[in-house]
Amino acid sequence: MATITELKAQTQALIEARSTWLIDVAKTILAHPEPGFQEVTTARLVSEKLHELGIAHDTGLALTGIKGYIRGGKPGPTVAVLGELDSLRVPGHPHANPDTGAAHACGHHCQIAMMLGAAIGLKALEEQEALAGNVALMAVPAEEFIDVQYRWQLHQEGKLGLMAGKQELIRLGAFDDVDLAMMVHTSSSSAEAAKFALGGTSNGHVVKFVRFIGKSAHAGSAPHQGINALQAAIVALNALNTQRETLRNDDTIRLHGILTSGGASVNAIPADVRYEGRVRGRNAEVIADANLKMDRCLRAGALAMGAKVNIVTIPGYLPMVNNQPMTEVFKRNAAQLVGESNLATHPPTRNRGGSTDMGDLSQIMPVIHPYTTAATGTGHGADYIIQDYVQAVINPAKAMAMTVIDLLAEDATKAREVLATSSPTMSKQQYLALQDSRLTEELYEGQ
Amino acid sequence: MATTEALKVAVQEAIDRRGQELIEVATTILHNPEPGFREQKTSQLTARKFREFGIPFQDGIALTGLKGMLETGNAGPTIAVMGELDSLKVLDHPHADPTTAAAHACGHHCQIAMMLAVGVGLKDAGVLPELAGRVALLAVPAEEYIEIAYRDQLRREGKLEFLGGKPEFIRLGALDDVDLAMMTHTSSSQTEHGKIAYGGTNNGIVAKHIRFLGKAAHAGGAPHQGINALNAAMIAMSAIHAQRETYRDEDTIRIHPIITQGGIAVSSVPADVHMETFVRGKTIEAFLAANQQVDRALRAGAMAVGGRVEVTTLPGYLPLQNHTSMLDIYGANAAALVGESNITQLGHRTGSTDMGDVSQLMPVIHPYVVAATGTGHGSDYLVQDYELGVLTAAKAMAMTVIDLLANGAHHAKTIKADYQAPLTKAQYLSLMRSMFEEASYTE
Repeated sequence: MATITELKAQTQALIEARSTWLIDVAKTILAHPEPGFQEVTTARLVSEKLHELGIAHDTGLALTGIKGYIRGGKPGPTVAVLGELDSLRVPGHPHANPDTGAAHACGHHCQIAMMLGAAIGLKALEEQEALAGNVALMAVPAEEFIDVQYRWQLHQEGKLGLMAGKQELIRLGAFDDVDLAMMVHTSSSSAEAAKFALGGTSNGHVVKFVRFIGKSAHAGSAPHQGINALQAAIVALNALNTQRETLRNDDTIRLHGILTSGGASVNAIPADVRYEGRVRGRNAEVIADANLKMDRCLRAGALAMGAKVNIVTIPGYLPMVNNQPMTEVFKRNAAQLVGESNLATHPPTRNRGGSTDMGDLSQIMPVIHPYTTAATGTGHGADYIIQDYVQAVINPAKAMAMTVIDLLAEDATKAREVLATSSPTMSKQQYLALQDSRLTEELYEGQ
Repeated sequence: MATTEALKVAVQEAIDRRGQELIEVATTILHNPEPGFREQKTSQLTARKFREFGIPFQDGIALTGLKGMLETGNAGPTIAVMGELDSLKVLDHPHADPTTAAAHACGHHCQIAMMLAVGVGLKDAGVLPELAGRVALLAVPAEEYIEIAYRDQLRREGKLEFLGGKPEFIRLGALDDVDLAMMTHTSSSQTEHGKIAYGGTNNGIVAKHIRFLGKAAHAGGAPHQGINALNAAMIAMSAIHAQRETYRDEDTIRIHPIITQGGIAVSSVPADVHMETFVRGKTIEAFLAANQQVDRALRAGAMAVGGRVEVTTLPGYLPLQNHTSMLDIYGANAAALVGESNITQLGHRTGSTDMGDVSQLMPVIHPYVVAATGTGHGSDYLVQDYELGVLTAAKAMAMTVIDLLANGAHHAKTIKADYQAPLTKAQYLSLMRSMFEEASYTE
């Protein structure tokens, strides 16, 4: 029987052989960006590629998600390798869809390719005794929590329960047979110096969908008969800014949002103004506190103008917990690929400020979410461009495939050890109950 | 019996004989400015002059006010001629008191002089026996609605109920025996053309004293433990501004807050911030509606920071109406003095005066003499023409008094008989009291 070293060498060679094919997949997705829960073309492409690789899979999970399996020759834990299907919306990005503004300004297109790359490497081990357990290959929708109104509508129509990809996949049971999970996100040289960055944490958040409801009237001839919902929003946002001095640095609170509708016509008093917002923080307690401040300000805006405000608070993401032993395994493989000196390991307290629904998964199972530095520019910016597709696709694919081998080879000793030493923060049921409790809707009438 | 014209000529001559002395009254007051309900020296000077002129009077009305009385000996209506005792506060006015910043940047110093001039002119000229009725000479405190915290304290101590001089005079009954009233205000050539301007209307107001209450904390070390009352006030002010597009042009709403305490130490989160504002409008309904919007904005400020706001709303002044027939009589006298081409008819003015309150109860006129340059209430507001600012103004009023009270007070009686007061004194008091509100909001 082959040694782990031999298995990894074989895996790397298989991935290497398909590197052009894999990079083409990434570039094809880059050219066809689709925001969350609308990744129809991207999902079709993934399905075609999995077919081509001979990997059976389910489609349409959480609307656009895909899950395939590579089964080992012996029973054991299931390790999921994830890639995210969705793009952001960043009009002005050189690869943005001119109609929708959709753009891969966060590098998710590489994630799908690297997931397929890991599949290529591991496919050779299908039904081999070397592999004790299974590999779940998951293309997950909607990591970017955007288009809030659209998702709230899908929720109200019963098409979505939770409103982000991994959240909804957890709810639907797609992770019920998964024991450990991993994915690699791209990063920019402006954020990370090393080629791979490991560890650290992320902010959790709640998502706000807010409607200020006023009364329209002719803005020139009868403004006194109107109630200006835009003024209510502006008062609210000014008020929100004054809260900032009360936010503790340690809590890494982020309060931000966009006005998605600021009035219908310039000669009418705006009566329906919509705001999509985010309240981020390092733990549930500080998020809840900052969210109280946000709500207070939103109500104050409505009160000031005698308007109404409808505040929907949507359960967002939970903070990320990177599993320490899995991180060590990944780190050894990454070091083999790029050299020890090209790795950065962040302490568990190092908060990246952003958020990911991989954080949700990390609360219920051992998870890693390292970064590969392959881009230049600002994450979520118009200048975020993947420059090094080998580091963006091929190296992470190899590192993940090698990590799976470490976890599941030799009767999955390592995976079992990880599972035995890790204690998830909560069960799936507790997770769902928590998220359910964070969903609220309030109509406040200011008078 | 002398003709009305002869009586007028006699009074003009009498005023001119004392011209220098009367102008000195004005300049003395100019150099001793005192804000409302603090006009001790000004009140004493007025009393001394009443005594010198042999005009009987009462003093200490509404703390510093005075009321002199000229009897004709014949039965008839009482006409009040008023002057205002108080100064403003304008830091860098050239005649400002260096300690208190009090300054006559609104020309009230001329009003006391012209009121005394009317009194002494009618008396010296010996015309009173030719008239019927009485002339009340009122030196009224506190027309400028300022120092709200100080006056509110006087109110809490029971020394005042209303924060303006004329509302207090009305409440105390000092106008119970008055049938018609007049006064003349100075104005600036920057605002009005000509020499005398009259007519039109003024905004009414409510006044507000506001305290935003937060929680003090080290502004550097622990701002998260504080509740910033200054931010509450800022949000409230932004919210007030956001209302402006809802004001109808014809309501001439004016809202102009100041912050009288904005924090104690820069290193401490402000926990007690004080704001004063007026809410003005052309009609009582309009300024009361705007006042509700202001309250909403104030509550929103407190709500946003999680603090508290205490809002004291005080009745201010009511809109001013000038009585048309009285104006006609006054206008003819004014034209005789300065020439028709130097007369301006006024429209609506967006400032406020407690003469408005009086105008809700009796026929009133409130003309202006354009004797100053600069901006009213500004540091450059200077009376330049004291002849016009005191003597001509006094003559026009004295001549109007003669027209009203001559011939057995025929004109005054007709005006009184035809007049339908918008409010009785009882209705006035109950309206004013209904505007008083003390509320505390935490939401």
